[in-house]
Amino acid sequence: MIKIENVHKSYGAKDNKSEILKGISLDVKRGDFAVILGASGSGKSTLLNVASGLERPDSGSVLYDGENIAALTDEKLTAFRKRKIGFIFQQYYLLPNLNVDKNVKMGAELAHNNDYAEVIAALGLSEKRGKFPHELSGGEQQRVSVARALAKKPEVLFLDEPTGALDEETGRSVLDYICKLQDELKFTIIMVTHNANIAEMAKTVIRMNSGKIVEQYRNQTQKTAYEIGW
Amino acid sequence: MVIGIKDIFKLIGIIIISICAVFVCTLFLNYNIDLQSIENKILSVETKALFDALVMSGTVVSAVSGGCLLITAVVMLCFYIKHYIDSHRKELGILKALGYSNLRISSGFWVFGLSVFFGSAVGFAGAHCLMPKFYSVQNEDKLLPEFEPGFHLELFLSLVILPTVIFALMSVVYSLLKMKTPVLELLRGKSVSKIKAVKDGKDLPFLKDIKRATVRGRKSLVFFIAFAAFCYSAMVQMSFGIDELASEMMSFMILGIGLTLAFVTLFIAVTTIVRSNAESVSIMRVFGYSRKECSVAVLSGYRPAAIVGFAVGTGYQYLLLKIAVEVVFKDIENVPEFDFNLRALIIAAVSFVIFYEVIMYLYSRKIGKISVKEIMLDSVD
Repeated sequence: MIKIENVHKSYGAKDNKSEILKGISLDVKRGDFAVILGASGSGKSTLLNVASGLERPDSGSVLYDGENIAALTDEKLTAFRKRKIGFIFQQYYLLPNLNVDKNVKMGAELAHNNDYAEVIAALGLSEKRGKFPHELSGGEQQRVSVARALAKKPEVLFLDEPTGALDEETGRSVLDYICKLQDELKFTIIMVTHNANIAEMAKTVIRMNSGKIVEQYRNQTQKTAYEIGW
Repeated sequence: MVIGIKDIFKLIGIIIISICAVFVCTLFLNYNIDLQSIENKILSVETKALFDALVMSGTVVSAVSGGCLLITAVVMLCFYIKHYIDSHRKELGILKALGYSNLRISSGFWVFGLSVFFGSAVGFAGAHCLMPKFYSVQNEDKLLPEFEPGFHLELFLSLVILPTVIFALMSVVYSLLKMKTPVLELLRGKSVSKIKAVKDGKDLPFLKDIKRATVRGRKSLVFFIAFAAFCYSAMVQMSFGIDELASEMMSFMILGIGLTLAFVTLFIAVTTIVRSNAESVSIMRVFGYSRKECSVAVLSGYRPAAIVGFAVGTGYQYLLLKIAVEVVFKDIENVPEFDFNLRALIIAAVSFVIFYEVIMYLYSRKIGKISVKEIMLDSVD
């Protein structure tokens, strides 16, 4: 489904140029659960941004079912994200002046999904629908961000350190819910994390270091969020 | 010191408003004071009536324009201080955590008063430069005895020094009130108090929700947009409406002040709107909302405020000129009838729509340039 071919990405001007991605190539199948592992500075978040169309590579291609999104205009890229992509970030990025219901509606309306209340309920947020982000705990905010992404019914869900700001119990419950929904809805997951334990939940594990993929393998069995170490 | 001298130049809005306010007040009040010196030389009843009308009109113009601009400058000062504290929460939190008292930190805010000093000093000097010309225009028909502009220290003290001291004190007091936020809340960075929630049960489409929330979240910006429209409407119509009542110089002066105030206020307001919504726009763009949808969500909610401001400005200038003609100049001969000037209204309305929409278009392009990755800059590795 997603085919990344020889992608290079640098930041900075000529004298201060820093190459973050050094010829990355990668295949992610439809319905896959891929985890990108790596230390800080390895390029994993940049790879996620390029793969999701948030950033363009300097060279190389990012193909979705054969369509190179790196060559799309801004408008087409926006339309592409609208149709296919969902995001969950470590810092949640909820809209601060809208309540839970309206934050989730932000994602739901893009997919013409009028049943988003089910997602809110499934994440245990029904009683918090009228609350505002600053009235919620970190775990609750992350659940809202999960609900917002899933209410959009994405084909591919990108997660950037989704449990990075959560305690163990909340982190496990968020991951557990995402995995259960993936089983049901069959969307593709690409998750960036530095927590090697989470990789045991994935089907595909990609390990990065200094802008390169240094290891890639498939797990024979996948553990649940409650079976992995933390 | 928490605030540097360079920070006060960011208060360009207050500087420009101070220039306009002090320029107008100095011109008319100085004229009034000098006019008093020839009172005993006036012998005829007609000339005395003209004398009284000129004194009255000078007082009214100074009080109305000075008062109006003073209120705006106070609102703008509070807005700037609040904005400064909101955008420096972490630094201020660290100072408080280190043991600096609220008063010690707030005392640094006195420099905000210097913006008023710069503005009022320029306005005062500008008025004195224009005074000879203004005096001759005011007495074009030579009905009054000749007199020269003089320098009045009491005007300098009350229009330049006193506002500077008052605004400096206000800055310290207002910042002291704002600094009462607990240290931990300041250290967390984001202001919870600035988040004004839209608490109603109406099931609106998301874009309408975000539009309402954006407008209700910062009511001071609604005031600034309305004020910009008010200034434009009142001053442009007034400058066209008084062509038979006053000199061409006066018309140009009013037009210039109106356009400057409208542009500066609108510029400050829209820049703040776009900056304060950059994160929301960014996350909307990440999820696939188009540039147009983001611009509509952020900017279009302020249009009603502009329309209201324009309408109030129309009524204000009409009443002001009507009162001037029927009350202040009632004893003067050959003062033409004053009626509502439809031509001025049409010119002002059409030009304002163009002016407002061009600025909104330029800013919607700016919104379109907000990077979808902007919110994630901290997490790039």
